[in-house]
Amino acid sequence: MAVNTILRTVKQAIWLGWKIDTNWANPLVFAIYYLVRPLASLLIVGFIFLIGSLASPSGVFDPQYFAYMFVGNCFFVYVTHVMMSMSILIHEDRVHYEVLKHIYLSPASLKWYILGRALNGVLNASTSLILTLGFGLLIFQGLLGVQIPINWLGIDFPLLALSLIIGMFCFLALGFMLCGINIMTSRVQFMLTEYVSGTLYLFGGVVFLPEILPSWGQTISNALPITYFLKSIRFAILHQTSFDAQTNIAYLVLTTVGAIILGIGVFKIAEYKARRDGLIDRKEEY
Amino acid sequence: MLTLSAYVYLYKMLNAPAEFASFVIIGGTMVAFWSNVLWNMSAQFYWEKETGSLEVYLVAPISRMAILLGMALGGIVNTTLRAAVILIAGTLIFQVPFMLQEPFTALLMFFLTIIALYALGMLFASLFMLYGREAWHTANLLQEPVYLLSGLYFPVNYLPFIIQILASLIPLTFGLDGIRRVIILGESITDTWLNVAVLVVFILVLLPFAKFALNYMENLGKKEGRLTLRWQ
Repeated sequence: MAVNTILRTVKQAIWLGWKIDTNWANPLVFAIYYLVRPLASLLIVGFIFLIGSLASPSGVFDPQYFAYMFVGNCFFVYVTHVMMSMSILIHEDRVHYEVLKHIYLSPASLKWYILGRALNGVLNASTSLILTLGFGLLIFQGLLGVQIPINWLGIDFPLLALSLIIGMFCFLALGFMLCGINIMTSRVQFMLTEYVSGTLYLFGGVVFLPEILPSWGQTISNALPITYFLKSIRFAILHQTSFDAQTNIAYLVLTTVGAIILGIGVFKIAEYKARRDGLIDRKEEY
Repeated sequence: MLTLSAYVYLYKMLNAPAEFASFVIIGGTMVAFWSNVLWNMSAQFYWEKETGSLEVYLVAPISRMAILLGMALGGIVNTTLRAAVILIAGTLIFQVPFMLQEPFTALLMFFLTIIALYALGMLFASLFMLYGREAWHTANLLQEPVYLLSGLYFPVNYLPFIIQILASLIPLTFGLDGIRRVIILGESITDTWLNVAVLVVFILVLLPFAKFALNYMENLGKKEGRLTLRWQ
């Protein structure tokens, strides 16, 4: 496939995804919708943290650990957005809008089209992240007086950017795996996303240190790229863990390569079987 | 169950008292019902419209409330099974403490909460009937914020006063508070009568209001020709 065709497919898919996500409302309403859910999720964990600390026998509030939770929860938005946008895409295009078969009739390739739609999910997640970080700081630090020890000038931006890029490859790969499963199945798109993102949330060290998990849970945590992704992000922003950043990046790359092999492999097999078994234009809604 | 477990571990990490884990388990159990109210009851007419079958419902000589009531009963059965699994698994895995003294009060509180929630769902259904893609976003919008406001994972009395005022507009807040007080803190009907009274008021207000709203929105939809619009 010519590079030009690939680029055009990706660009048009990003644009289409953006239109589907945004053109039902004016930009302000859209921004509110994209802020409220992740912000509420952050506030839930923040209040659990504050109330739990207050009710503990020592009654001590640990700002370093609060910052750990704050950053982890904010950046987890990439997982939820990318997974959700890629998981519901097949259902939306095949059943709801009935256009999946038309993609095969066009010069575009399905995988590049999916990549474009997923990149739109990354853009949306970035919008959510910026809004959530800003409003989260405003509420916790500004209104509730909680000190969050983040030195914005001391952020290691190259490490942050590198972690984000590798992390995106990983989440896109996992998203392709979900697309593959959704092509082969029907009506599991929401459940599937919930289970996968729930597993990553529990075992990925998003809001608590994975060391508190039972040993089998720690083993799962060590095998997940999200664990290393969040460690790197936290190291870049908070500098609070005394670990070897290079080794962590190496683990992140290693687990991401594993995720890419798994994700693309599952997608290719599923797509082949779906075309063979006539599932590309299957109807589910009746 | 997975997210709920993460919150239990967070409380454990903070050395919070054991009943906070019980709060999370009970809250997580009620999440199943709220999700069902939101995605099945409230959004039901939207899904039907998108699949082209809403007009079939409207042609039939039956009450819209009856359709929704049937859907609610079906949804409650399925959701109760899911909620029971969350409750039993959460209790066994995390060994959370309960001090249930009056099981009938707990059941009364539970059923009143469910009726009030599904009445709210019927009210939302009237809105969702006319919605296009915003139905999906609205349902999303009403998920985590309601988890936050109704104190699904922590007691609401710790929240700032202004948030408590907002929370009191949601029947789930009172229901969940009552259920927790009876099951976790071992309180009786005499301690929780206010919760029962508020839930009854919610039911008495929401059910007729839902009926009115359904009729109004259906007529509006007919006037504007929006009941059969798909892919908006």
